[in-house]
Amino acid sequence: MDSQKTDLFIISNSKYFESHHLPQIREQLLKLDNSKWGMIQTLQFQDPTTLLIVSLLVGTLGIDRFMIGDTGLGIGKLLTCGGFGIWAIVDLFLIMGATKEKNMAKLQQVIY
Amino acid sequence: MTRNRLYILLIVMSLLGYTWLISQFFIAENLKTNSVCLFKNITDIPCPSCGSTRSILEILKGNFLEALYINPLGFLGFAVLIIIPLWLLFDVLQKKHTLYLVFLRLEKNIKKTPIAIILILLIITNWIWNIAKNL
Repeated sequence: MDSQKTDLFIISNSKYFESHHLPQIREQLLKLDNSKWGMIQTLQFQDPTTLLIVSLLVGTLGIDRFMIGDTGLGIGKLLTCGGFGIWAIVDLFLIMGATKEKNMAKLQQVIY
Repeated sequence: MTRNRLYILLIVMSLLGYTWLISQFFIAENLKTNSVCLFKNITDIPCPSCGSTRSILEILKGNFLEALYINPLGFLGFAVLIIIPLWLLFDVLQKKHTLYLVFLRLEKNIKKTPIAIILILLIITNWIWNIAKNL
């Protein structure tokens, strides 16, 4: 894929990924076949900020974990009142990173 | 989620659960704090699993009907608290990962729409009951 498209993707989607993943993504996209551009462009990523708001409001019910696809952890949080209140607070700090990791996994699935 | 992270999380959660239960079991009735539930403390509405501790304490005393009335999720919590540590011990000692495989399969099955809808409805019903009981 040409560098113009790659840079366009990086610029418009950088907030969905960890900053240390960006060079790797750029490299992978440059090597990628042009036919996959359409698919990559239409990928929907979860916004980490949205997840942070959800975690703040209904984190004790585990909704944030359900949303990013960690169903098992979500149930664990739901059944223990947000891990006795502690896990819910810890997750306020972890959820943005976890969301970005999930986005990265989603992109990797399309690339390979 | 890797095997080791899941196991560490489960160990920490079971330890916390047992510490919490034992502390609640031995603290006199008049010294008990109201609740650790963030949701309840902030909104004053009980969350779906509020009352699990009281329910498990009733089970330990043998009052099963009372426990069912307070919160049926107490039975689930009680079963999990007994099974998970034993299973973890078995897995760690035998260097296997049976619990992790079961967890992955459960996570996959629970996401299927019919099962998910039934579970969500059950939790919501329990939640409405909790609010009605004013736990």
